[in-house]
Amino acid sequence: MSNNVTYLLIMLSKLVGRPNAMIEVKELYHRYGKDSDFVLANLNFTIKRGEFVFIVGPSGAGKSTLLKLFIREIVPSQGSISILGQDLGTMPPKQIPYLRRSIGMVFQDFRLLEDRTAFDNIAFVLRVTGASAGEITRRTSHVLDLVGLAHKAYARVCDLSGGEQQRIGLARAIANRPALIIADEPTGNLDPDTSLEIMSLLRQINLRGTTIVVATHNREIVDRFQKRVIHLEDGRIASDEQKGVYARAL
Amino acid sequence: MPCNGFTYAWGEAFKSLYRNRWMSIASVGVVVVTLLMLGTFMMVSLNLAHITATVKGQVEIVVYVDEKATPEQQKQLQTMLEARTDLAEIRFVSREEALERLQPELGDFLEGYDIEAENPLRDSYELRAIVPESVINIAKELEGYPAVGDVFYGQGVVEKLFNVTRGLQIVALSLMVLLSITAVFLIAHTIKLTVYIRSKEIMIMKYVGATNWFIRWPFILEGLTLGLLGAILPLFALYYIYGLAASWVTAQNIMFLSLLPVSVMMFELVKYLVPLGTGLGILGSSLSMGRFLKV
Repeated sequence: MSNNVTYLLIMLSKLVGRPNAMIEVKELYHRYGKDSDFVLANLNFTIKRGEFVFIVGPSGAGKSTLLKLFIREIVPSQGSISILGQDLGTMPPKQIPYLRRSIGMVFQDFRLLEDRTAFDNIAFVLRVTGASAGEITRRTSHVLDLVGLAHKAYARVCDLSGGEQQRIGLARAIANRPALIIADEPTGNLDPDTSLEIMSLLRQINLRGTTIVVATHNREIVDRFQKRVIHLEDGRIASDEQKGVYARAL
Repeated sequence: MPCNGFTYAWGEAFKSLYRNRWMSIASVGVVVVTLLMLGTFMMVSLNLAHITATVKGQVEIVVYVDEKATPEQQKQLQTMLEARTDLAEIRFVSREEALERLQPELGDFLEGYDIEAENPLRDSYELRAIVPESVINIAKELEGYPAVGDVFYGQGVVEKLFNVTRGLQIVALSLMVLLSITAVFLIAHTIKLTVYIRSKEIMIMKYVGATNWFIRWPFILEGLTLGLLGAILPLFALYYIYGLAASWVTAQNIMFLSLLPVSVMMFELVKYLVPLGTGLGILGSSLSMGRFLKV
């Protein structure tokens, strides 16, 4: 199957609503190296399209490894992960870029190009997909407007506050209209008020139908949002609750 | 690469060259120094080959006709020589002409002798081979022919000349290969630094779904530009240096020592250094990308 067909299938599945599962994890085990211990063991869960899920747990619980598996940065040692019906374990390396175009990533350290403007950072993602100049300008302005930073479009990232930088990160993540957003500790470097702003933006994006997966340590946020909480401990699922709270998860 | 991708890749390459301008200058500097050394060596080596070819071209076989040979045998010898396809030039020198050539050199020494009546010289053929290296074999073949008395081709000297030129060619080629390998390593390391500086950008590109070729193209074009600049700059320097050297040698008027004309030399240098410089730039940037694309 050609890369473009894969991409088309992913985009089509967004439109026709099939399959219903966004992420399917079956009997997943992962370890780094043959002689090391498993960092993830016997994971089984499904995240449906349009869901908002928190993945919580202490440092070393396997949250980051799980996110790396979702974007096919690594392949599982055993078991399977599917995103929109695509088995990531058997996916040829050439198709990985097309998978990633359907996933928006948000990072704790923002991962922006600091010497460039907010506009350039977002336009950069659209150029990767081969969008035309007009489309790039239109979509970049639109997402900057959505995150409330249209007036800072031509400010350099290094001149923006942490909260503003994360909003640019969020705008970049949604620029490609992804089916899924994966956020790794998106509020880790932000104060409580700014954290709340970012999470509210993620909730708004979720209301438009985008699936959101957030790995976090932020107890206050998890408790306040009352979404599904998957709690990992020592690489295993300790609890998986709808409308969960951080405290109950622990 | 689609048209907008092509424009994007060139745009990114030039932006990166400007953003990392000090590193770009360093990379060009490395290519300039390496190709300047290589170019200088090429100039010496091409001229050595030219001088050797000139000397080789002057190597002759002189076949002396046997005194006892009948006119018929001599005619047969001439027909046989003319039929050979490995000879570029056949010139008959009669004993009278040979004496005429000798007289100015002997001068007063022959005073009192009726040298024309007692001419001790023999008829001969002066031959020039198409391939100078085949002189030895041709001479050996002719030695056995009935009408042939003696055959001279500068025995010993010719063999030595051929051995020396073959040795020089091997040394020249080895040094050129060695310098090229050094250049690839130097360029690869310099470009690796620029790639390292931009590793965060590459990582972000990978996360947002850029294909490896989308990421590679700007770097390859950057390498190509650095290599091309690094090749063109030494060409100017070499043009100046060679011009000076060529006019100095011409002024000395040394026998056998005629250098290749400046236009021919520059054509040769452009022909080799420009593709080599750009090739090294591309190779250097391609080699330095690998590790950073594994995200």
